[in-house]
Amino acid sequence: MSGPANLHELMAEAAARTPQALAVAGPCGPVTYAELDARADALAGVMAGHGVRRGDRVLVWSPKSPDALAAMQAVLRLGAAYVPIDPLSPVERVATIARECAARAVCAPADLLSRVPGALRELLACVDTAPPEGTAPPDGAGPREPVSVLVDRDEPAYILFTSGSTGTPKGVTISHGNALAFVAWAVEELSAGPGDRFANHASFSFDLSVLDIYAAFAVGAAVCPVPTEFAYAPARLVEFLHQEHITVWYSVPSVLLLMQRDGGLLDRPAPGSLRALLFAGEPFPIHHVRRFAEWTDARLLNLYGPTETNVCTRHEARPEDLERDLPVPIGTACGGDRVWASTPDGRTAGPGEEGELMVSGPTVFLGYWGRPPQDGPYATGDRVRVRPDGSFDYLGRADGQVKVRGHRIELSEVTAALHTHPEVAEAAVAAVGDGLDRRLAAFVARTPASVLGNIALRRHLAQLLPPQMIPDDVRFVDELPRNHRGKLDLAALVSAHNT
Amino acid sequence: MTATPEREEIATKLLAFIRERFLSGDPQGELTGETPLLELGILNSLNTATLIAYMVEEFEVKVPLHDVTPEAFKNVDNLSSMVHERRRSADA
Repeated sequence: MSGPANLHELMAEAAARTPQALAVAGPCGPVTYAELDARADALAGVMAGHGVRRGDRVLVWSPKSPDALAAMQAVLRLGAAYVPIDPLSPVERVATIARECAARAVCAPADLLSRVPGALRELLACVDTAPPEGTAPPDGAGPREPVSVLVDRDEPAYILFTSGSTGTPKGVTISHGNALAFVAWAVEELSAGPGDRFANHASFSFDLSVLDIYAAFAVGAAVCPVPTEFAYAPARLVEFLHQEHITVWYSVPSVLLLMQRDGGLLDRPAPGSLRALLFAGEPFPIHHVRRFAEWTDARLLNLYGPTETNVCTRHEARPEDLERDLPVPIGTACGGDRVWASTPDGRTAGPGEEGELMVSGPTVFLGYWGRPPQDGPYATGDRVRVRPDGSFDYLGRADGQVKVRGHRIELSEVTAALHTHPEVAEAAVAAVGDGLDRRLAAFVARTPASVLGNIALRRHLAQLLPPQMIPDDVRFVDELPRNHRGKLDLAALVSAHNT
Repeated sequence: MTATPEREEIATKLLAFIRERFLSGDPQGELTGETPLLELGILNSLNTATLIAYMVEEFEVKVPLHDVTPEAFKNVDNLSSMVHERRRSADA
């Protein structure tokens, strides 16, 4: 196979080709490729001093910043795998993930590092993401020790922890080869070049960010990370899109809807720079897609794929898709993958039939960390219908996994967290509502005489779960409704909730 | 121009709004000015937008983009200080 064999070669090669080009632009920048390269080497030196070696895992717990990007590259340069963790995650979850993947070190800015408890410090080396004093001149020139351990294509590059149905997060382990196959596809699909400016809306712990970061690095373009706090101000996101001359925007549809509803996105002409609007993670209601198609000439691309497969199908919205009253199809296989729908009796579904989407190919992950490797095709748990042209329409989930504002949440993980409170007798969690009104609702029956309150329960959950997994609504009920077989009647709860 | 409301008055209104809209009325009266709103998932991206719309309407203040920070929205105490400050400088 041609091209680089290691993910960290993308940034290093761009730094060699165009050292003065911007690697990071926007409010988090500017940082040139030469500077980012130097920071990565300096941090790699520090981490090596803490004993990080090929095959290790290093947590990167940080808001989006050039330092966090340098830390991720530093980990790769040592032949280790990085584990990005959302900066809003409680320290207890960081500890759980550190134990799950037997991490060697945690790399974080000083304010987060100070929250790492003593017991965890005995297991993990703590590395500050800030550039170490006096290790590298700011212009990236001068003597230094370049670090680049090359590993096999099938060694882990990063691990993304996602909500796990057993109550513990699961580590989706992606190899260098998996990531590179996906990035090569993205670069070709988007005809990406050094003049591009990729917005990076998603957190680094979310797989959407992989495209933003590495498609940019692959072509020596600039990545423009959206500061985390912009998420609370849709107007700032709109301003960012215009001000930064973004050429490729990639986010979940709910972010675009929020920018439209509360940020006035469609009230201004589309920025002339914008040439591709990518969305993934949840269905984009078709009546909204129509408005976006009128607003911009940019390509509208629906990308599909669980974290486990990167992106495995894609579909570009065409006029005929906009005429249907169905969401934009998830389309056809990409990234060198083979994708098909399997019927309950194990056949490959034909046109018009429904089945579970199956994926095999180069972008499919190695497996969950600490569990048996992924063997054979990956069963996504997503139900699809085969269209006459062989592409797919997304129908929904076959299990208890939901998407709320694009976040993938296993209902049972939230339920399990609720049950850890001693005054919770019974609990159920459901996603209710549609579009921007979609939210996570918890129904809780308390133990006799308990006066547990909404906020007290939230305080408990906040020690275990990141904010997006804390239910938006908490309802206390006397008991959970059951059907005549004694099975939880979630539909009854949800309909009572909506009235 | 109406007189600048006191910080406590602003806080009382914000607390009432958050209780009613996001906490099913908060029957146990747990919400205080110091309750961490973002950390406890009481303010998600959508609720924050709703709250900003309320602040603009109720207190006739502009909430400039650079004021929408995790620090300002951390709790009701910080929020009411911000609104109070905005009102005072608008009245001055």
